[in-house]
Amino acid sequence: MSAVAALPAARSPGFFEALAPGGRRALFVLGVIAVCLLFAFPVLWLVLTSLRPGYAVYYVHRGTDFTLDNFQDVLGQEIVLKALWNSFAISTLATILSLGVTVTSGYMLSRFKGPIPGAWFGAIYVFRCVPYVSWVLPLYFVTRTLGIFDTYWGLLLPHVAVHICFFSWIMKGFFDGIDPSMEYAAMIDGCSRWGAFLRVALPAAVPGLTALAILCWLYTWNEFLFALILTAQNTPILTVVMAQFVHELGMEWHLMSATAVLALGPALIVTIFGQKYVIRGLKI
Amino acid sequence: MTLRRLFVFDEKTRFMLALIAPAVLVLVLFQILPILTGANASFRDWHLHDPKKTWIGLTNYAYVVRDEEFLGIVLPNTFGFMFASVACSLVAGLLIALLLNRKFPGRWLVQTIILLPLMVAPVIAAIMIRWMFNDQFGIVNVVLDVFGIAPVAWLTQKWTAFFAILLTDVWLWTPWFALLLLAGLQSLPPEPFEAAQIDAASAWRTFRYITLPMLRPVIVVCVVIRAIDAFRTFDIVWTISGGGPARATEVFSIYAYVEAFQFLNFGRGSAAAVIGAIIIVVFAMGLYRVLNRWVEVSK
Repeated sequence: MSAVAALPAARSPGFFEALAPGGRRALFVLGVIAVCLLFAFPVLWLVLTSLRPGYAVYYVHRGTDFTLDNFQDVLGQEIVLKALWNSFAISTLATILSLGVTVTSGYMLSRFKGPIPGAWFGAIYVFRCVPYVSWVLPLYFVTRTLGIFDTYWGLLLPHVAVHICFFSWIMKGFFDGIDPSMEYAAMIDGCSRWGAFLRVALPAAVPGLTALAILCWLYTWNEFLFALILTAQNTPILTVVMAQFVHELGMEWHLMSATAVLALGPALIVTIFGQKYVIRGLKI
Repeated sequence: MTLRRLFVFDEKTRFMLALIAPAVLVLVLFQILPILTGANASFRDWHLHDPKKTWIGLTNYAYVVRDEEFLGIVLPNTFGFMFASVACSLVAGLLIALLLNRKFPGRWLVQTIILLPLMVAPVIAAIMIRWMFNDQFGIVNVVLDVFGIAPVAWLTQKWTAFFAILLTDVWLWTPWFALLLLAGLQSLPPEPFEAAQIDAASAWRTFRYITLPMLRPVIVVCVVIRAIDAFRTFDIVWTISGGGPARATEVFSIYAYVEAFQFLNFGRGSAAAVIGAIIIVVFAMGLYRVLNRWVEVSK
């Protein structure tokens, strides 16, 4: 109803209206359904595969035996439970740390001009471009040397390092959109620089921070390459455990899909409740 | 006097440095230090099975820039993939953002469904695509069979494998574009649109002359960020085709990885990574400048 009402009133009847009354609307609905199917299909297929017993998994489209055994199997494995907890803890901690570190850096980039902010912005821009492959292996040596390989810190800090460049850039955008005159007023009234930042600028940036927090959490939850290289058996991470169900010889598609669906759960909850804040917060 | 000024900062400088200190510390330890280690290795004879670590100058670089594989396949693949992926997901993302910017019943549900790929780990999406494009058991060939089309061995030919990889990337990143562009659309002021409506401008002209120019800054940022990321794509290519068949779909990250970890020549792999980093840094700066000028002109 409102979709049609939103169109300008004074218009000659279009091609589709001439074809069939209401045709434009039907076409719109069909288009929306097609797009949704396109985006949902691989996920639906994943869910369907996870519900099939092991023997039927190669012909997902044939037969109607469905079972929840895969989930039971997977949840019965200690490593999966551990990985679920680890992934959750790492994602949450990495989000808190990354935001804490980059909010100040973004504020600095937005509010100051001169050689120091210029150099910092240049460094961020250049290091953002360096491909992961060129630092993942040396990173392994570095975490080994620091004695934090295969621990929470050994995965957390590299994740924070990845986020620094991108987030500082985006945060700069948030603070650019906030009028600094309030901070000047606060400083004239006797607030220190830190006070002006913490009490005036920071609260105004909360919508943006929320959006970034949600994206950061999802990104860390889904990350694979770092988790693969920087962890071993002490700190199993969900994406790595999942991928290990697919070997060259025995592909346990049903177990892999079940784990993947489990991993999708928290991400789905975060997205459903978070999308409103993401869209509101990303208005740069 | 000058020495004093070098080491004793004024209050403003101290504040600036304190703001970035934690970020600098983490960046130096976990990004710059590893990158320098890798760069150092690229000048050395550093095989993982026999790390002599002797200085050999630019030999590794000379090998990579003369390698037929790197020049003839890896570079065109990487740039082709980058352009195709960014262009497709930008157009699709823009269309979806325009769709979601309208009010219609069930919009919330449609939005959640379209954002689904953001929740799926890229490596899982890649495994799923490989599964769906499997030549014996994959659903894609089953569907083709229904229409009477002979099964295609998707992942064993160059262009079909490339298509599968591209499809995965576009599927994964279109929602990201849609999200950022939707946020951009919703922050546009309503007045120009009302004026256009009063003047009975067509939907296309409103889009072309009002929406698009006003959205350009957001588009520029999205395109630059995504282009850099697409250039260094690793996990989905590795999972779907592994760079195969016969290294035909190798992109630059895969090339560096294969040189370092399969041929165990860490020095040469690092050299390839450094060359790729230089290419993308120069390219990204150029892109940023060109797009920025484009935005300025359009204002």
